[in-house]
Amino acid sequence: MIQGDLRMVGVVRGSAVRISVDGESIPAHEGESVAAAMLAAGRRFTRWSARAGEPRGYFCGMGVCQDCLVVVDGRPNVRACMTPVREGLTVDTQRGLGEWPVAP
Amino acid sequence: MSAVECVVVGGGPAGLAAAATAARHGVRVALVDENAELGGQYYRQMPPSFSVPDSPRIGRETTEGRRLIDEVRALGVDLHLGSVAWGVFDQRTVAVATPEGSRRLEAEALVLAAGAYDRPVPFPGWTLPGVMTAGGAQNLMKAYRMLPGRRVLIAGSGPLLLVVAHYLLQGGAEVVALCEASALRRLWRYAPRLAPHLDFVQQGYRYRREIQEAGVPMFTGHVVRRAVGHAEVNGAVIGPCDADWRPAPGPERHFDVDTVVVGYGFVSSVELSRLAGCEHRYEPALGSWVPVRSRDLETTVPGVFAVGDGAGVAGSAVALAEGRLAGLAVAHRLGRLIGRELSRETARARGRLLHLAGFRGVMDALYRFGPGVRALADAETTLCRCEEVTVGEAVEAIGEGAGHVNEVKAWTRVGMGRCQGRMCGPALAHLVAEGRGSDVAAAGFFTPRPPAKPVPLAALAHDLTDEPLTEEGVAP
Repeated sequence: MIQGDLRMVGVVRGSAVRISVDGESIPAHEGESVAAAMLAAGRRFTRWSARAGEPRGYFCGMGVCQDCLVVVDGRPNVRACMTPVREGLTVDTQRGLGEWPVAP
Repeated sequence: MSAVECVVVGGGPAGLAAAATAARHGVRVALVDENAELGGQYYRQMPPSFSVPDSPRIGRETTEGRRLIDEVRALGVDLHLGSVAWGVFDQRTVAVATPEGSRRLEAEALVLAAGAYDRPVPFPGWTLPGVMTAGGAQNLMKAYRMLPGRRVLIAGSGPLLLVVAHYLLQGGAEVVALCEASALRRLWRYAPRLAPHLDFVQQGYRYRREIQEAGVPMFTGHVVRRAVGHAEVNGAVIGPCDADWRPAPGPERHFDVDTVVVGYGFVSSVELSRLAGCEHRYEPALGSWVPVRSRDLETTVPGVFAVGDGAGVAGSAVALAEGRLAGLAVAHRLGRLIGRELSRETARARGRLLHLAGFRGVMDALYRFGPGVRALADAETTLCRCEEVTVGEAVEAIGEGAGHVNEVKAWTRVGMGRCQGRMCGPALAHLVAEGRGSDVAAAGFFTPRPPAKPVPLAALAHDLTDEPLTEEGVAP
């Protein structure tokens, strides 16, 4: 169980922003990836796998493994490690293959 | 806008060196990279808004990379950042996608510098949140100055594990153990070959001493046997292994952890060189398929060069030298570099590679991949992370006659997921080889098809080929 902020000290970071992860507001800094902001808040879990409903999270950190997929602003299958944060961005845990927003 | 003469795919050390070298000789170069900033993995930079005023002891390569990145920008190389090279057509036409659309980049010369990715080694619990690769841990620490966890077990093989430990300790994490699969015995045997590379050796020695002084137990000839936990990892069990890294009888040790960092070396990303039609061969010493190359690092497709870890994992120093050599070959191919200057510069680049080969040879021997590590996985262990196919299901298919990775794929869905077989391919090839009593090369590889990376349909719907780049190199 991770407690507290995992950000190292002595670093000047980008301007503070807030993103929401499953409805909870967490702090982030402009320039960070969604994965980094989530991990810093102790949230390592990004999705439930489709077949067995297993918890998955950040693995390769470079956009290759496709395990850190989350739903960002309603769109599924977004790699958290390759997506920069911005103020007000919403992240939701993805369930399986995700659901696409239906066009009106 | 004048036409591009050379396309470089990949903005890590090899790609940067190739682009800079070619551009220095007057070649018009375009460089493509999926990330928002240049540097690849090894030269990974912090975001532009970040800075570290006291310049701590982590990140010497960050500064080194910064210099080369600045040079590439100053030389006027056309940059396509945040852009995915998803296909190679008609030998040298590269298809590049951004969220806005896709464009074709055609040139006389193509340099593929796609790098490598952490070798995935399935073991019980490897899919738990909190179990991550060495590369993944490094990116968090280098790019975002963030710890991956507070109580960390490091396992796998290779000098990178020492670097990960160093970063973790500098960042204030607790490293509960470092678990190296190789026995690292009789190092003195390599002394004569290591003598010309004292700087590398001293660096390694410094890392080891730091780990010892921090009280971190280091186990050689050990592997992590399983990661345990419910919703995320909370423990790791290590145990001894033999010279092939196969689990051996002996006492297991359990550690309470919140993070497991696993690093078993790297696998070359050859998707684009395959799509370009280049011939490849399986290199057992590297445990990876690599493109066949001439002395000038040209592949079997004329005008297509492959450099750096993407053409055979050999580290950043080799990547830089190979990038230079290919950059010279490209400049020559385009008539910008001939005669005595060509010979002199090429001789220097080749001399550098020769000098590095001695050190690489020792590293490859010390940390040679042990195929026995495949025995860590049991029937229930996930093999294909994307499609959730177990090792047992794959072995069953092999037992029923599947003799090629493509056959196992068709029967079980291994390799059909979003990672396009990157995470399961290497382990599956070993399972097929073992099951059929043949070698890994005979197990084959997944048939390459574009796109090389998942791209949204929207990116393909809009052809940006004739639209100019904006100042920052990304289409509007």
